[in-house]
Amino acid sequence: MIVASYSCLSYLIPPWPIRSNSGRRNTSRRAAVSQITSAESNPLVQQTNIRRCNCYDMYKEVIPFSEAWSWQKSIVEKRKTLIDINEDCSDTLIVLQHQPVYTLGTASSENNLNFDIKDPPLPLYQTERGGEVTYHGPGQLLLYPIMNLRFQKMDLHWYMRALEEVVIRVLSSTFSLKASRVDGLTGVWVGDKKLAAIGIRVSKWLTYHGLALNVSTDLSPFSRIIPCGIKDRGVGSIKELLRESNGLSSTSGYHDDNDDDGKLIDIAHESLLKEFCEVFQLELCHQSVSILRSPDK
Amino acid sequence: MALRIWASSTANALRLSSATRPHFSPLSRCFSSVLDGLKYANSHEWVKHEGSVATIGITDHAQDHLGEVVFVDLPDTGGSVAKATGFGAVESVKATSDINSPISGEIVEVNTKLSDTPGLINSSPYEDGWMIKVKPSNPSELESLMGAKEYTKFCEEEDAAH
Repeated sequence: MIVASYSCLSYLIPPWPIRSNSGRRNTSRRAAVSQITSAESNPLVQQTNIRRCNCYDMYKEVIPFSEAWSWQKSIVEKRKTLIDINEDCSDTLIVLQHQPVYTLGTASSENNLNFDIKDPPLPLYQTERGGEVTYHGPGQLLLYPIMNLRFQKMDLHWYMRALEEVVIRVLSSTFSLKASRVDGLTGVWVGDKKLAAIGIRVSKWLTYHGLALNVSTDLSPFSRIIPCGIKDRGVGSIKELLRESNGLSSTSGYHDDNDDDGKLIDIAHESLLKEFCEVFQLELCHQSVSILRSPDK
Repeated sequence: MALRIWASSTANALRLSSATRPHFSPLSRCFSSVLDGLKYANSHEWVKHEGSVATIGITDHAQDHLGEVVFVDLPDTGGSVAKATGFGAVESVKATSDINSPISGEIVEVNTKLSDTPGLINSSPYEDGWMIKVKPSNPSELESLMGAKEYTKFCEEEDAAH
């Protein structure tokens, strides 16, 4: 990744490459960059052409998986049509929480289920994303970016690392949690606990599905699966880790925590959007969610 | 423009010392093989037309970018494919990607070995990693595809731009 600044040579090159503006095919105008405040203060980030991203932000809502899945597929079809006529001017981001559900990826194995696939304890969806089985539920923030990688980097490895980078930055900058990648195990880890899972689908360089970050998620449904097919590591949440670091047990006073959970979600959400914009050099344009819900969308 | 050229050469220099950046795609993308005698689509599939049957797969460049293929989803024999339309998918790195057919036609054979050994796509993208055989319904579609030299240049330009 290219940093067009002479000062970059004197920096320890971070493991995360900063995206350059070379290879841009979109001649988007230089929009206001109020969201990219760190560009001014961070000499490693070049002021680039900022691409627009339409954001459907339902982060406090708990949406059925099937509905959000249907929205994504509909948006992908529309975007493909725009791509074919070279008029794909904006990316898309959907943010929400899900009702409790298990989802499988294209290669998911039944061996990673601790229940009969024909009689699952929760709704179960076989999707077209990559990756193994995972759980989604309230307290977990989902980011579904629908990104045209022709305007980023046409490299799936890069895209996965970029999604991880968003979460790593959120966890370290906002929650002071030391998050990391594990080579060969996509996702974001704090110690040996996975806090964020990633699984995507790519069609003509247009991505969908995305990432799930455990904020205040009830983690018990993960015990019915081998999450992401990884047997010797666990799953964690921001709430659980903050409690541990404050010396509190993970089960104390759960019923008093709803306000705190709400605040955690608020803080995590704000940080996610900020870091998402920073990593992908996007400007969010918030859209009414009624556009997704209306029949003639 | 000068800044971009400088930045590009700096990036290349930095990539060469990328021992501390394990998440970059391997440099071998510069040396992916392209075979003469095949036709290529800009979505990185190849076609080998022999008589009335065309064999389709993904290129060395494509498999190199994907990384280890862990799963391949292919259609059934007897189905049809349409030019530039998805007919299957490959999964790698927790990302599942569409495979698009370079030509239209009827599927006459599917490589069933790929369900047990999807890695054949990585180890032998032009031979054992073939995906489907199609009876072309419109052989003139082959003419609009790229030849080996054109495809090699296409890959170089695509990689240089990113």
